[in-house]
Amino acid sequence: MKNNKGQIAIMIICVFLGIIVAIQIKTVNKTVGEGLLPTQRAQQLATELKKLQDEREALKKELDELEGKIKLYEKGEADKNIYTENLYKDLEKYRMFAGNLDVEGPGIVLEINDPPMDIQFGEESSIVDELDMILQIVSVLNASEAEAISINDQRYTSYTEIVRAGNHIEINGVSVGPPIVIKAIGDSSLLESSLSLKGGILWHLEYYTDYIVQLRQEKSIKIPKYRKIKEFTFAKPVPELAN
Amino acid sequence: MEKGKKVNLILLTFSALLGFMAVIQLNQDMESYNFVTLRTIQVSKNEIANTSKEIEDLETLIVEKEEEIKRIENTKDESSAHSILNEELDKTKIASGFCDMEGPGIVIIMQDNQAAEIVGYDVNDDVIHDIDILNILNDLRIAGAEAISINGQRIMPMSEIKCGGPNIKINGKSLATPFVIKAIGNPKTLYASVNAPSTYGYKLKNLYQINIETSIEDKINISAYSGNFVFRNANPTKEGD
Repeated sequence: MKNNKGQIAIMIICVFLGIIVAIQIKTVNKTVGEGLLPTQRAQQLATELKKLQDEREALKKELDELEGKIKLYEKGEADKNIYTENLYKDLEKYRMFAGNLDVEGPGIVLEINDPPMDIQFGEESSIVDELDMILQIVSVLNASEAEAISINDQRYTSYTEIVRAGNHIEINGVSVGPPIVIKAIGDSSLLESSLSLKGGILWHLEYYTDYIVQLRQEKSIKIPKYRKIKEFTFAKPVPELAN
Repeated sequence: MEKGKKVNLILLTFSALLGFMAVIQLNQDMESYNFVTLRTIQVSKNEIANTSKEIEDLETLIVEKEEEIKRIENTKDESSAHSILNEELDKTKIASGFCDMEGPGIVIIMQDNQAAEIVGYDVNDDVIHDIDILNILNDLRIAGAEAISINGQRIMPMSEIKCGGPNIKINGKSLATPFVIKAIGNPKTLYASVNAPSTYGYKLKNLYQINIETSIEDKINISAYSGNFVFRNANPTKEGD
């Protein structure tokens, strides 16, 4: 009788074990795909990603070439008379406002590295958890008259969103992770001093939360243009009244 | 006694079998063995989706540019060249915020907590700060806002939003409560981005008891940028660099 009891107990446990294993396999299969080992799948994804990235680079190059060509045409026209030249100058100005133009000039480069892991408690903190800080840094830079800002080579425009997605950030729809490199063109000493003010934003990052922050002035910084298409589906320009 | 031994024997055999199977499984894939969690797979899937979206965008841009080149090549006289430049100028003006815009969207009215006594933990919790507005703007952008203004100031890439004493400075002008944020875009998504639970706006409203009222409107007018920002340091990148 005693033996029987033991057998029943083992049977029940085995049934449970079976159910648990089945659930686990089902879950893994759903994410990984039927009949594949996770490692294989990860490698597949990695190669796919590599291919897509290569394609993206090629397309970027092609686009640059085309834009260069258009620019040449426009400049060629602009040289012909003053009216066209003014038009072209206006166009460049508004393009700079919209962020549709690569720009260069003096400015600052700010690099924020995640703090090293806390040895005592094993806690890890990351800039990904503190998007507020990035928003504030951009605002401080703008308050000191920055003329163009990029975050990890993504141009900051009026449509730029900063979203947390898992353990990285998405800016302009592009995945970005630490270290965060913020570049700004403007009066470099003004930009630097407004950021490194005692009690200011970088002070908070460095002394409160141990981020590794590097701030330096540079003579020439290049900031790329905004590369997304912003379509206006809802907003329409107001027709100007004749006055 | 006999029976118990039998059971033990069976268990032993199966355990041994299981052990062998596990060892074989481990041995089989030793070279490419590394930690792959479901999470990393999900992350790389996301990244792939993002990259393909970018590629799509680039392809449309390339098609657009090619058409433009064709049009330019077909123009011979000066006046049509002017019209092309003018068209491009109008498009860029719209994208850069130098154009009055109208369309459906939402109006958010934010006001400090009006009660005389301190409602939150600290007086500062009852007052709207720059970071609150920055976060709400970010949420609106995520929801695809096409034009945003605060108290009539158009939000530009170089618009700063900074607390300065009792008021907030935007585009170099001091603004005080109530803040009226207007945004043009899909009204439903915009509304959700401020009011859905776990958004920043919801937290402000319900946790910090800041007065936030959101209304959907069919036609909002957002005026153009009126400041006179001058580019002193930034120059267009030269060709051939």
